[in-house]
Amino acid sequence: MKFKNGITERNVIVKCGADHYLPFALVFGFYVILFGTVSPGGGFQGGVIVASAVLLLYLGYGFQTAGSALRSEVLRVGESAGAVIYVILGLLGILLGARFCQNVFFDNGAVGDLVSAGTVTFMSWAVGFKVLTGVGFLLLLLLGLLAADPDEEAEGS
Amino acid sequence: MKGVRIAAVSAVCVLAAVWLCVAVYSSLTLPPTYDGSSVNVLDLYRDPENTDLSDPDGAAAVIVQENLSRTGAANNVASVVFDFRGFDTLGESFILLTAIAGTYVILSRKKKKDEKKEDASDEV
Repeated sequence: MKFKNGITERNVIVKCGADHYLPFALVFGFYVILFGTVSPGGGFQGGVIVASAVLLLYLGYGFQTAGSALRSEVLRVGESAGAVIYVILGLLGILLGARFCQNVFFDNGAVGDLVSAGTVTFMSWAVGFKVLTGVGFLLLLLLGLLAADPDEEAEGS
Repeated sequence: MKGVRIAAVSAVCVLAAVWLCVAVYSSLTLPPTYDGSSVNVLDLYRDPENTDLSDPDGAAAVIVQENLSRTGAANNVASVVFDFRGFDTLGESFILLTAIAGTYVILSRKKKKDEKKEDASDEV
């Protein structure tokens, strides 16, 4: 709700909803990322679920709080770091005498354990990290554009 | 009042369509799909001789068995995405990287333009 004197007050129902659903979104998203190789899910899906926390923050507290709680530069660097980790894990196959992205050590743990599938597990985590930082950064960019529009209108009028 | 009437009519139509779908699909007798649900994966991995590999469920079992012996991942889709088609996943993630870089470039250019406009208005 926006008043004429420029003070913005968030709806208390939306704020409480964001408060209550944010931990669940984070826990569920990280669960989907971590258990991507032993259950339905994976890096991409879990990363997008975690990145939806940015939307919840924006809905509950506005862009100022969301932008100050999350440093977009760190997110931007984290995405590149995730891509580099993925490529290194893929090159591990070539370095150990197989093809690119081949699973070279997968005898670590019984079938169904958390770390049981060798490089597949770590590549899934790398992709999850990459997607959650990348999509979070994208959402912050777009929400920044959304938050900048009313000011321009106010300046124009 | 008109909006309420339209909403009520559309809600009734949607409910009728859902009821029709449920009625039709519950009256049909669909053929069984071969999903390998009758195959115990862990048993199959430890002792492949016990499983009947001749029926279509057995084919699914062969896929699971081969996948387990090659990658060790319990989730077949994950092993396909990150092992057999790992290069494809790399390309997909670079598409995401490119999209975000493009968005960043466009939005930062818009911000710069706004700053220039403000500077010009200050000078005037």
